[in-house]
Amino acid sequence: MSGGIARGRLAEERKAWRKNHPHGFVAKPETLPDGTVNLMIWHCTIPGKQGTDWEGGYFPLTLHFSEDYPSKPPKCKFPQGFFHPNVYPSGTVCLSILNEDSGWRPAITVKQILVGIQDLLDQPNPADPAQTDGYHLFIQDPTEYKRRVRLQAKQYPALV
Amino acid sequence: MASDGHPPEPGKKEEVTSTAAGPGANDLDDPQFMCCVCLDLLYKPVVLSCGHMSCFWCVHKAMHVFLESHCAVCRQPYIHFPSICQLLHHLLLKLETTDYKRREKEVLEEEKRIETYSPQIIEFLNSKNNVGSDGDNRNEDSKARPPQEVSLNGSTSDEHSKKIKLEDVSCPLCTEMLYQPAVLNCGHVYCVSCLSSLNEETLKCHVCGSPHPGDFPNVCLDLDHFLEEYFPAEYESRGQKVQFKKDQCNREASSSGTSVRKGSTRALHDEGMLNIHIGVGCDSCGVYPIRGKRYKCQDCTELIGFDLCEACYNSSSKLPGRFNQRHTPDHRMEVDNSALLRGILRHHGMPEEGPEGLMMEEAVVAPGAFLQILVDTQGMEEGNNEGPGEAAIEEPVGAPGAMLNIVIHDQEMEGNEEDHAL
Repeated sequence: MSGGIARGRLAEERKAWRKNHPHGFVAKPETLPDGTVNLMIWHCTIPGKQGTDWEGGYFPLTLHFSEDYPSKPPKCKFPQGFFHPNVYPSGTVCLSILNEDSGWRPAITVKQILVGIQDLLDQPNPADPAQTDGYHLFIQDPTEYKRRVRLQAKQYPALV
Repeated sequence: MASDGHPPEPGKKEEVTSTAAGPGANDLDDPQFMCCVCLDLLYKPVVLSCGHMSCFWCVHKAMHVFLESHCAVCRQPYIHFPSICQLLHHLLLKLETTDYKRREKEVLEEEKRIETYSPQIIEFLNSKNNVGSDGDNRNEDSKARPPQEVSLNGSTSDEHSKKIKLEDVSCPLCTEMLYQPAVLNCGHVYCVSCLSSLNEETLKCHVCGSPHPGDFPNVCLDLDHFLEEYFPAEYESRGQKVQFKKDQCNREASSSGTSVRKGSTRALHDEGMLNIHIGVGCDSCGVYPIRGKRYKCQDCTELIGFDLCEACYNSSSKLPGRFNQRHTPDHRMEVDNSALLRGILRHHGMPEEGPEGLMMEEAVVAPGAFLQILVDTQGMEEGNNEGPGEAAIEEPVGAPGAMLNIVIHDQEMEGNEEDHAL
């Protein structure tokens, strides 16, 4: 079942990450109950940027890689119902660099994806809404939007 | 390098120093010659006309089987699969011998598994790098270069200077060290200034004679930066020389603006989308997939077969195959329509999955096996417990859209198509 380069590339991604990664971020492949590692699913944490309403939150994100990776981007999912204008109700992140037809390039690394999503948190793209709740508040009620974002940040404290 | 104050790990400091010491100081994680697709050391590097490079297989596997392909780094579209850059291949072999041999072994194992091989590169004892087997006369010039020039190297690269010599990185046109190198579709490397001074109607390789389809090539910056670090003194003097020449040219004739864009990435709309041979590339110019007439060899027994596009068939190209086929010019070639998108869509109806499965490995190994690919895709989707249904409803899946384009296109073109029907 090997074939393709997805696993080889992911092994290299893992190596590169262990060597050096941005502060506060977590990214590790899923470990199955029997102790084996599944490189195709990564459990990550994205810290909210300091100085923004997202600060203090450590948001869990799961990356689902396909056998076609890196020709195709991974699917990036926050927990279901995550509050953000560009996150689908299922939790899937809508971001140009994660879209195969617009911004994805195989040269984009896991690190760049995670940093890109961190940027997206505080800089939503109203031109490309993915959920009604987050989008409408962002457009119509900035105060309530802010409150919801801060509330959500509290829901995801640092895991000690 | 987005690290901010992350505590350095034990191995990290070493890495930094080795990078500073010079390129390829036996640390694989030196990004200079790392393939951006597999993140491993480049193996049999291929340089696209945008100047970005990847491994032979990384490029080939990522090429789209019926649309234009995009560079993994900059997304510039391209439709030709370039030949391996032998100069870089030999450079890496000398620079990173151990890792390169490891890669060779790994890749060969994979090639045995898929029963399709990348071109074998004959090792020359005296590194005829930039020159393929067919162009030796030109190489005499560079071999005749006095070897003492090597000693001009800056002290930083002393230890490497044993590995790479100036003649390994010379331009076949000016016979001097490459300065701002650009790589043609055939894999041969020239100074970009030498190429633009050619002023020929169509860009043609002066080593192997192959025409260069596609855009005027950009400088391969990775190679350029390597040369700058490795041969700092030569690089500087070459830079001054080139600049001087440029100024002169500008004074003599203000027409130094080279006609860049050759319009290679032909608008797909101009040609019937349906005249595309899915997953079949031309073994001569590398166009992938072939559009229009496809000539298939009747005598090659390799799994991947041997195919030519109409232009290359008519120019009676004598180049060997791109996958190490044992093709000879006396093999019989015949027009083949079996992998034509038009026929496939008619016979099997519109695939519901969209074309995403087409880029799978199977497409590479067994070009034309469209039906099988579709079946495989469906199998995969089902096995995927991610619940594609949910995703399909609320999120744009992208790929089906691509197919939709074709459908629309098909309808628009229908009138035209009938006129041009074979």
